[in-house]
Amino acid sequence: MTASTIDSRDDLISYLHAAMALEHATIPTYLTAYYSIHSATNSDAAHIIRVVAVEEMLHLTLAANVLNAIGGTPDLTAPGFVPSYPAYLPDGEDDFTVDLRPFSPEAVETFCKIERPGKAPSGSSRLVRASDNGRPLLAASPTAKGMRFYSIGEFYEEIIEGLEKVAADDPGLFCGHPALQVGPEYFYSGGGTVITVSDLDSARRALRFIAAQGEGLDSGIHDADGELAHYYRFRQLQLGRYYQVGDHPDAPSGPPLSVSWDDVYRLKVSARLADYPAGSELAGAARKFNADYEAFLALLTKAFNGKPDLLQDAVWYMFRLRDGFNRLVRNPLPGSDGLHAAPTFEIPNAVGPGPDAARTAGGTAQAVTR
Amino acid sequence: MTSQSFEEFLVLSVDLTAFEETDLLGTGLAHQYLAKVRDACGDEVVTALLDAHRAARADAGDGAGSHDRALLDRALRHRIFSDDRLGPVARNVVKLWYSGTWYGLPPEWTDRYGARTAAETSTVTAASYQEGLLWPAIGANPPGARAPGYGSWAQPPRIEDRYLRGEGK
Repeated sequence: MTASTIDSRDDLISYLHAAMALEHATIPTYLTAYYSIHSATNSDAAHIIRVVAVEEMLHLTLAANVLNAIGGTPDLTAPGFVPSYPAYLPDGEDDFTVDLRPFSPEAVETFCKIERPGKAPSGSSRLVRASDNGRPLLAASPTAKGMRFYSIGEFYEEIIEGLEKVAADDPGLFCGHPALQVGPEYFYSGGGTVITVSDLDSARRALRFIAAQGEGLDSGIHDADGELAHYYRFRQLQLGRYYQVGDHPDAPSGPPLSVSWDDVYRLKVSARLADYPAGSELAGAARKFNADYEAFLALLTKAFNGKPDLLQDAVWYMFRLRDGFNRLVRNPLPGSDGLHAAPTFEIPNAVGPGPDAARTAGGTAQAVTR
Repeated sequence: MTSQSFEEFLVLSVDLTAFEETDLLGTGLAHQYLAKVRDACGDEVVTALLDAHRAARADAGDGAGSHDRALLDRALRHRIFSDDRLGPVARNVVKLWYSGTWYGLPPEWTDRYGARTAAETSTVTAASYQEGLLWPAIGANPPGARAPGYGSWAQPPRIEDRYLRGEGK
């Protein structure tokens, strides 16, 4: 067993910031694949990706709840919160990068790597030395320099053990105001209920839930509620069949699943604003999407800092982002051999949330004042 | 269908709808709309419409690729909208983009110009209703489709700045 990399509340806070960044980092990549699919086609694939993306949003909320419960301050507008794609995952896994690509076998391969089961061979191998390949590692271990985690599951296991250890020494660890918690009245979706966190037990449940829904450390296909873990949801796309309860991980025996790799907009992989013709309408549309996304993250930051009812507004923002996504992916990107445009998720000025940041940042459409 | 005539149809549609090319392509339906106009009116009418539009742009051009909007407006009225054959088709192209529906041209038009299918009203695809420019123009969502989020209807419509400021003319 390696020594814990978490010794204090501050350590926990930096880990939970990394956890929020990690949960978020997967969302643009899943959404890019999702919106690249021609509407009314590929319903199996679209459904699978959509469910996972929505559950990542739940995980983001759960990580925010744990962070709030120990007196931290969630900030989705902090510089670096949105990775520059292609990026390494913020938990430190460094054998693959996450990029923004259209729905394709390569995309599904990456999704499986993100969600892969990852129980380290032994407790002592949870932390491994990060390879020095010159690329920026986003967070890895926030406290142990040069170390990364074996998997997302092990990353969360480290946080849970850290919480147990710090809570044992500090009875006042869970000092966050209960009003900061996002409860099920503000967040609901198909896959799982949001857990409010007020003590070690609820924190453990929230974090275990995240890990189990992703892939689980126990490598089960289904979690305790009978939900298929994300890794196996994506494996279905590779294997062409749905899983049934009792299946061996390599041999799903459910109904066949049809995938049409051609009914997809061929997007430029991890497009950057620099790929857009300077000064073009299309560049303006891409910039507007980023500004809308920045405003959306500022709104979420406020929601996670005592205004959970703003999550209702966030739903409207998400629908607008959907429309912006669709508009971009249907436009050919000039000078890229017929590839199509896509959001770049480059957030221009990631600054702290001002009082009205969400209402005013970016966007050319505004509500008519009454 | 040549890619050149598609490009020309896009530019024509920009002038007719006052929406940007990015918005038009963003509906995902531009190719289907051109095909619809061709099916309804025939290639000859479409070619004449694109020719007239090119001529109108030339009338209003400054020779350096820019246009005087007032001149272009006048040239479009002169060369297209007041033309017995092209005017009704151009107005139908506007309606097609805004509503996603091809509205049947009157019998007088089909009797004279022959394209019988132009008289039939039809929707292009189920998506064309959702993608109608009507909805962004009035800051609303297509009822029953493309959900804007629960309760969003309690908010004022979101209208593009350029319309609020009365720009564009």
